[in-house]
Amino acid sequence: MKQKESAESFRNEPVSDPSILSRKEIALYRNCPKQYVCVEMLQDGYHGAFSELFSLLRSDQDQRTQALPGSARLQAPPLEDQRDKLETIRLHLSLAEKAEREGAWTAVCEERLRLGRYFSSHQDFRLSFHFYHSCADRERGGRSRPATEARLHLAELYRQHGDPEEARQQAEMGLKQAEQGGWLDSDGRPLRLWACRELAKSCSLLGEAFHAEKDFDTAKKLLQYGSKMALEGEDRCVEGEVLFKQGLSLQSLGDHGAARQAFSTCLQIFSELQDVNALVRNYKAMAKSLESEGNVQEALWLLEEAANTCRSSGLRGELADVCLHLGNIYCHLGQPKRACEYFLQGYKAACSTGDVTLLQKAQVKLGVTCAHVYVGQYSGDMQAASSTSVKRLVSWKETRGLQDLFPDLAE
Amino acid sequence: MESELQTSGVTSNIMPLAFPRGKEKFCELCKREAYLQCTRCRVTFYCNAEHQQADWVGIHERICHLLVRMRTPTELIDHAARRDDQLRKAELIEICRLVAQSKLSEGKYEEALPAAHCCLHTSIDVHGPNTVQLLPSYLLLAEANMGLDNLAVVAELLCQAKWVVLKHPESGPLIQQQLHRSLGRFHAAVGNLEAALHHFANDVYFSSEEYGLDSINASKGYFLMAEVFVRQGKIPVARSLYSKVAHTWHKHLISLLHHQTEISHKRAVSSQSFYEQSQRVEMDEMLRAMLEFEQKQFRRDAAQIALLAHSLAMLWFLGGDLQKALGFGTTALQASQQITKHDLTEPVQRLLQQVQSLQPGSGSRTAEKQRH
Repeated sequence: MKQKESAESFRNEPVSDPSILSRKEIALYRNCPKQYVCVEMLQDGYHGAFSELFSLLRSDQDQRTQALPGSARLQAPPLEDQRDKLETIRLHLSLAEKAEREGAWTAVCEERLRLGRYFSSHQDFRLSFHFYHSCADRERGGRSRPATEARLHLAELYRQHGDPEEARQQAEMGLKQAEQGGWLDSDGRPLRLWACRELAKSCSLLGEAFHAEKDFDTAKKLLQYGSKMALEGEDRCVEGEVLFKQGLSLQSLGDHGAARQAFSTCLQIFSELQDVNALVRNYKAMAKSLESEGNVQEALWLLEEAANTCRSSGLRGELADVCLHLGNIYCHLGQPKRACEYFLQGYKAACSTGDVTLLQKAQVKLGVTCAHVYVGQYSGDMQAASSTSVKRLVSWKETRGLQDLFPDLAE
Repeated sequence: MESELQTSGVTSNIMPLAFPRGKEKFCELCKREAYLQCTRCRVTFYCNAEHQQADWVGIHERICHLLVRMRTPTELIDHAARRDDQLRKAELIEICRLVAQSKLSEGKYEEALPAAHCCLHTSIDVHGPNTVQLLPSYLLLAEANMGLDNLAVVAELLCQAKWVVLKHPESGPLIQQQLHRSLGRFHAAVGNLEAALHHFANDVYFSSEEYGLDSINASKGYFLMAEVFVRQGKIPVARSLYSKVAHTWHKHLISLLHHQTEISHKRAVSSQSFYEQSQRVEMDEMLRAMLEFEQKQFRRDAAQIALLAHSLAMLWFLGGDLQKALGFGTTALQASQQITKHDLTEPVQRLLQQVQSLQPGSGSRTAEKQRH
C-alpha cells in the first residue's frame, strides 16, 4: 500500500529537470528572430512595444521591396534577421512601456533616447530618426531633459541628411527647452551649449545655401546669427568654421575689408586649435582677398606661409595647390622663371598625391611657363642669322633640360 | 404544429428491403446501427430520435438537400461528374465550418458538434487522413469540446492538430494562428496560465502578420490575453490591453455604421447573414465583459466606459435592437460628459438621435430627458 502511494507521488512529480528545454528555449531555437522577439514582448504584456516594432519591421520590408536592385538600401541585411538589434529594441521599448504605465514620462523618453543613440550607424539612420522623434515629440515628457537631448540629436541628423532648415527648427526648439531646463549633458557640460553649437552649424549651412541662391541679405543675417550662436556655444572649432563661412560670403560680395577681418580672427582661432587644414584654407582665402584688393606682395607672403605650413605638416595636395597659385601670380607679375620654380614644386607635390587631374594641371602649367622662359632666352639667337647663334642653338638642343632653368637640379 | 415540424425534421423507420443487401446503415452521429432515416433526403440514418434531433438542429437542416446528390450512388464515373462531386463536397465543408463557427460564437457548444463532425468526415473524404486541410475541423471540434468541458478530448484533438502542423511546416500563418488560439484557450481552461499566454502571444503575432496590426482578429487575441492577465492579477496590463481592444472595435464599428447608413440610403432593409449575427453575439459578449470589468475598477476610466458603451450602442443599433442601443447610448453619453477633453459626445448624441428617429412615440420623451 505504501509502495503504491510512493509510486503515485513519484508519478505526479512535476518535471523540472534543467536539462529539459523550456518553452522559451524551444521557441528561440525553432522560430525566426522576429517571431521570437514579438512573442516575448506580447507574452510580457507589452503590446504597445510589439505594435511599434511590428510596424517598424513592416516599413523596413516595404522600403526594401521598393528599393531598386543593387541600391544601398539592400546592402544591409533586413532588420528582422538581426537578432541583436531586435533584442535591443525589445528591451528598451518594453522598459519604456512599463514606465509609461507607471506614469514615469521622463523614463519613457530616456529609453527612447537610448534606442536612438544605439542606432547611430549610417545604415540605421531611419531607426534613429524614428526613436528620436518618438522621444522628442511626446505629448507627455516632451519637454524633459532626454527629450531635449533627442531634439538636438535630431537637429544633427537633419543637418547631416541635407535638411538644414528642419535642423535649425529642431535646434531652436532644443535651445529653448535647454535654457528653460538648465540641464547638463552626459559630459557634464550645459545642454544649452550643445544647442547653441548645433544651431550655429545649421545656420551657417543655411546661410551658405541662401548665398548660393544669391539671396545675400538672408545669407548674411543667418551667418551673423550663426557666429553669434557659435560664440555662445563656447566651441572655438565651430566658431572658426562659421566665421570662415561668413568671411567667404563677404568676400564674394566684394567686401574684402570685412572679409579679411573675419579671416584674421579665424587665423587666431585655427592656430590656437592647430587645425592645419583650416589654417591653409584660411591663408588661401585671405590671399585671395588681398590679391583682389591689389595687395599682391602681402598675398604672396601669406601664400608662402601657407606653403610652409603645408610642408611642415605634410599636406601634399594642398602644397601643390598653393604652389600652383603662387606660380600663377608670378606669371602675371612677369616673372616666369620664378613661376617655373613654384610650378615645379607644385608638380613634385602633385606627383606624390596620386591625384591625376592635379598632376596634369601642374604639368601643363610648368610646360607652358618653361616655354615662355626659353622663348625669352633664345629669341635673340633665333632672329640673328649668324652661324654662332645657330651653333649655340644646336648645342643647347643637344643638352637642353630642366637644369637650364634650375641649376641646382644638375648633379 | 407546422413550426414543430420545421425544427425537428421528419423521420421514418428504415425499410431494410428498400436497400441492397449486406449494406448496413449507421447512425450519422455515433456510427452505431441505425433504425431511422431522414425522409427528406433519404440518405441519412440515425440510431434513435435523439441523435436525429441533435443532427437536425446542429447541421442537417442546412445540408439535407445537398446530401441527396452526394450520397446517391452513381454508376458512371466520368471526369466531369467527379469534379462536380468534389466541388459539392467543398461547398458542404464550407457550410459546415461556418455553421459550427457561428454556433461556437453564440456559445452553443453542444449544437456545434454535429456540424464539426460532418466537416471532419467530409474533409477526410476529400483530402484524406492526416492532411493540413483537416486542421480547421480538429480545431472546431476542440473548441466545442472545450465549451462542454471535455478537456481530455480537447487535449487529444489539439495534440493531433499540433502533429499535423508540425508535419506540414508550409502551412501558413492562418492555420498556425488558429492552432495557437485553441491551444491558448485549452491551457487557460486547464489553468496553465503561462503557457496560455505564450500561445495567445503567438496567436496575436500570426493574426497581425495575416490581417494587420489593428485587425478584429488580432484584437480577439488581445482580449483573450487580457483575461489571462486578469487571472494573474496583473490588472494594469489587462486594462491597457482592454483599452487597445476597445479602440480597435470602436473604430471598426464606426466604419461599419458608416457603411450601413450608406447602404440603407439605397436599400430600406439590409440583409443580415447568419454568420454576421453570430459574430454580433460574440462581440456583444466581449464588449460587455470589458465594460463590466471597467465598471468594477476602483478608479474608473470614463473614457474607456464611454468608448465601450458607444461601441455596444452601435452594435445593437446595427443589430436592430433599438432599446438596447438606447440604453448603452445613454451610458456612453453620461460617461463621455464626465471627461473634459473627449470628442465622443457628439457622435454619441448623433447615434441617439438616429435611434430615436427610428423609435416612434417613446423616442421624443427620452430625447427631452437627454437635453435636460
